Amino acid sequence: MTTFVASLRYEFRMQVRKRTVWIVPALTLVLFVLIGGSLLRDLFDPGERPVDPRTAVVGLAVQLHALLSIGFGCLLADRLIRDDRLRVASILDATPASPRARLLGKYVGAGAATAIPVAVAYFGFAAAYAVDTGEPRALGWALAAFGAVFVPGLLFVAAFALAAPLVMPAPLFRVLFVGYWLWGNVVSPDMMPTLARTLVHPLGGYPLAALFDFHGIDGQEAWAGPIPGATLNALRPDPTPALAWLSIALLLIIAAAVLAGGHALRARRVR
Amino acid sequence: MRIEISGLTKTYRGGVAAIDGLDLAVPTGMFGLLGANGAGKTTLMRILAGIVRPTSGRVTVGEHDLGTGAGRTAVQRDLGYLPQDLGVYPDLTARQFLDYVALLKGMDDRTVRRRRVGELLEVVALTEHADRRLRGFSGGMRQRVGIAQALLADPQLLIVDEPTAGLDPEERIRFRTLLSQFAGRRTVLLSTHIVDDIGQTCREVAVLAKGRLIFRGTVEELTRRAQGQVWSVVTDGPAPTEGTVVSALPHDDGMRYRIVAPSAPSPGALPLEPGLEDGYLAVATGRGNASRQPASPPGRRP
Ligand SMILES: Nc1ncnc2c1ncn2[C@@H]1O[C@H](COP(=O)(O)OP(=O)(O)OP(=O)(O)O)[C@@H](O)[C@H]1O
Ligand SMILES: [Mg+2]
Repeated sequence: MTTFVASLRYEFRMQVRKRTVWIVPALTLVLFVLIGGSLLRDLFDPGERPVDPRTAVVGLAVQLHALLSIGFGCLLADRLIRDDRLRVASILDATPASPRARLLGKYVGAGAATAIPVAVAYFGFAAAYAVDTGEPRALGWALAAFGAVFVPGLLFVAAFALAAPLVMPAPLFRVLFVGYWLWGNVVSPDMMPTLARTLVHPLGGYPLAALFDFHGIDGQEAWAGPIPGATLNALRPDPTPALAWLSIALLLIIAAAVLAGGHALRARRVR
Repeated sequence: MRIEISGLTKTYRGGVAAIDGLDLAVPTGMFGLLGANGAGKTTLMRILAGIVRPTSGRVTVGEHDLGTGAGRTAVQRDLGYLPQDLGVYPDLTARQFLDYVALLKGMDDRTVRRRRVGELLEVVALTEHADRRLRGFSGGMRQRVGIAQALLADPQLLIVDEPTAGLDPEERIRFRTLLSQFAGRRTVLLSTHIVDDIGQTCREVAVLAKGRLIFRGTVEELTRRAQGQVWSVVTDGPAPTEGTVVSALPHDDGMRYRIVAPSAPSPGALPLEPGLEDGYLAVATGRGNASRQPASPPGRRP
């Protein structure tokens, strides 16, 4: 327990102080607003924004999650390999501290630090919206969406970002990750196989559809369930709340498995 | 804490046998480890620190068997390790880095930990830089942070791998003295290329070559290996080809060479008293006086 807390605390501290952890999400947001056409602006336009505060805030979660997770994954990609690269690993490995607890502390600590700007952006916009519309309920929905949609998705991404650079150079992981994220979230699954609308969609299609009754800003989009003609439809049952919880559990289980795999790989390599 | 090593072998992936059937007992006190680059010193120390698993063989430290997970953890609880290839987190201050390592070593009590970190910063003369980020530290200052982290838990077993590399002469001598004083009833395993440091601190020493033990004995014994083999040669011509040149000094009549060789390397050579470095060279080049040592050819035993 002490090891976990110590590692969490110091990994958090080191990551949260890194300027890029703040600059990358800020630039992403600025660029996105400049490109325009986003909910970030429509939210404050009485003529354009969704009437229902839940749709507005959940829609905001989807948009920021899709956008800021890219930087989130890239910023975490050096965290595990850096102990070896900085040659600190020998000192840490010679302590009696459990390497598993250290890894877990690093995962949660560095992940939380990288998620802070994301949370600040999300709750910032949600609060501004709540004030602008006089809808305090919006904040409740924002909290729920953060817990059910952001957190599992970010934990999923963070596990891959820590472990994958053990088997490939971190820059290559970043390229592949950004490529996958855009491909998985932009290209329609009936054109190419992607995880979109499956139970293991890191953007959280099932919780969005079944827990938040969210069907896009215009209410016309499907976020989970089968797509005629697409591969992987076995992973796209019709959404229900139980399946939404299952989907969250699956994301966390996969994250844990990836992390365990990374741990085993590193332990074997050191020997 | 006594270390017993028997039949120890470490073969890295790719087939390099870094340690090759090593038997060695390390008693309490300061113990020196010498050997050429690639001899396997670091590998041996990493095995003892529980970082690297041996391919075969048995190691016990005190009553703990390094072959078991519980044994390794028990040894690590009482271990200070200064790696040869030392790194620090550049984004932490010296104090924070030491605090982190102390936490990982299980020093849970905050007051005790803070006091200990403060003491060690004082010991390595970094108090005034304690709250600066390590990014801005010079190589020698980082090395001193490394020394401090190794001493944190007041370990019974201290393994230091070329600890004085990068230290200025004053700091080097200070640290050498510190090690001797620290040793007392503890075990300190010191590897270095500065033979003099071993002569100044250790009673016993082992020399490794290609993963094997080629000498184990006292510092005096190692020196005696070069008895009758050290020569002074003054020449204005080319250096003698016989033997190993230890030093070359400009001299009125050309150059004065100090040479380790089994017989006089040139007609005018004068015999000299051997030093520890001569003994090491004699052993390392396989020419040392044969005396009960495995590496010497059997035919030359007295
Ligand atoms: N991680 C590794 N993978 C493969 N081979 C290695 C590894 N580490 C060391 N070796 C090899 O093992 C041998 C012993 O290396 P080691 O670092 O133990 O020597 P050393 O005595 O500490 O040398 P030096 O005086 O240069 O520090 C060398 O041949 C080296 O190339
Ligand atoms: Mg070495």
